[in-house]
Amino acid sequence: MEKWAIAHIFSSHNNTIITITDVTGAETLAKCSGGMVVKADKDEPSPYAAMIAAQRVAEEIKEKGIEGVHIRVRGIGRGRSKSPGPGAQAAIRTLARAGLKIGRIEDVTPLPHDGCREKGGKRGRRV
Amino acid sequence: MAERKKKKTVKNWYALIAPKAFGKTKIAETPADSEDKVIGRTVEVSLQEFTGDFAKAHIKLIFKVVEVSGFEARTAFIGHTTTTDYVKRMARRYKSKIDGVFDVKTKDGVRIRVKPSAYTGKVIKTSQKRAIRAFMKEVIEKLASENTLDEFVKYMLDGEIGKQTYKLSKTIYPVKRVEVHKSELLESPKVEIKTEKEAEEIEKEEEETEKEMKEEVKDKVEEGIKETEETEEVEGMKEEEREGTEEKVNEETEEAKEEIKESE
Repeated sequence: MEKWAIAHIFSSHNNTIITITDVTGAETLAKCSGGMVVKADKDEPSPYAAMIAAQRVAEEIKEKGIEGVHIRVRGIGRGRSKSPGPGAQAAIRTLARAGLKIGRIEDVTPLPHDGCREKGGKRGRRV
Repeated sequence: MAERKKKKTVKNWYALIAPKAFGKTKIAETPADSEDKVIGRTVEVSLQEFTGDFAKAHIKLIFKVVEVSGFEARTAFIGHTTTTDYVKRMARRYKSKIDGVFDVKTKDGVRIRVKPSAYTGKVIKTSQKRAIRAFMKEVIEKLASENTLDEFVKYMLDGEIGKQTYKLSKTIYPVKRVEVHKSELLESPKVEIKTEKEAEEIEKEEEETEKEMKEEVKDKVEEGIKETEETEEVEGMKEEEREGTEEKVNEETEEAKEEIKESE
């Protein structure tokens, strides 16, 4: 039987973090992030950094005998931006290009069913 | 402060096996270094993988590992959810979504929380919503009280609950779609022994296992005695060997002396 894993991709506008776990989510098989790959801080969220991080992770799990991944993409959420950042798409594409089978792709951004008040005060964040 | 890094233990892959109601098929594999770490892990599996029906890809079943034997882990059904994108696709502006949360007890005494939701084509009155919610409750409670957990889950996932509430609520407002979008297992009763025969069998098994345990202990004690004897013997052997070697050494030295004499 083929071994499958789950690729958790957390993509904000400051970084992209990829963690690959087994199907239960209890054991981490590989992890990498945009910050581990590039030198300049401003490049951390870039699609390029996400691409290289995904390549590294893909190689690592292939060695462990994994043939396919289900994907769980996640943005910041919790009252802030709901949509995943710029690195998410690049990461998914690279995983597919690396020869891994792609199963379900799901958005798991945490969304409040109306909970705490978002920070920034009544008039919002004034830049 | 600096701790030594522990040696990496070899992790085995345990196969997760679906419950009886889902055909006892192999769902997935999970690595672990010991059996008790596998117990309690949960897996989400799409219903599509069991039925092959593409229309049911949005339903995710949740299984929890209950028992491990060898490299096979038996799982149990603990609930289901639908994917968030499916729910968002169904719920629209200027349309009504009717939710309900009902705790029911099945025929075999399992308490389960069922969360159905219905979708309409247009915004409807609150009184109509209430009526539809009442129909949901009626259908779910009826099905739960008449069926065991496995049968009830089947009805829930088939859309039988949806169909029946749809028929009933037609008279009030034509609902577009009704389905159970979430369920949680709250409590399952402890396994009770039903017949006297079964009870007797279980007692016998327990007695046998106890006997076996005792026998094993006896065997171990006997083996221990044997082992001590053997070690003594070994020591005796060693002494003999030592003497032998000493003799050899003596001979060798004598030979060497003779050689030296001859050379002189």
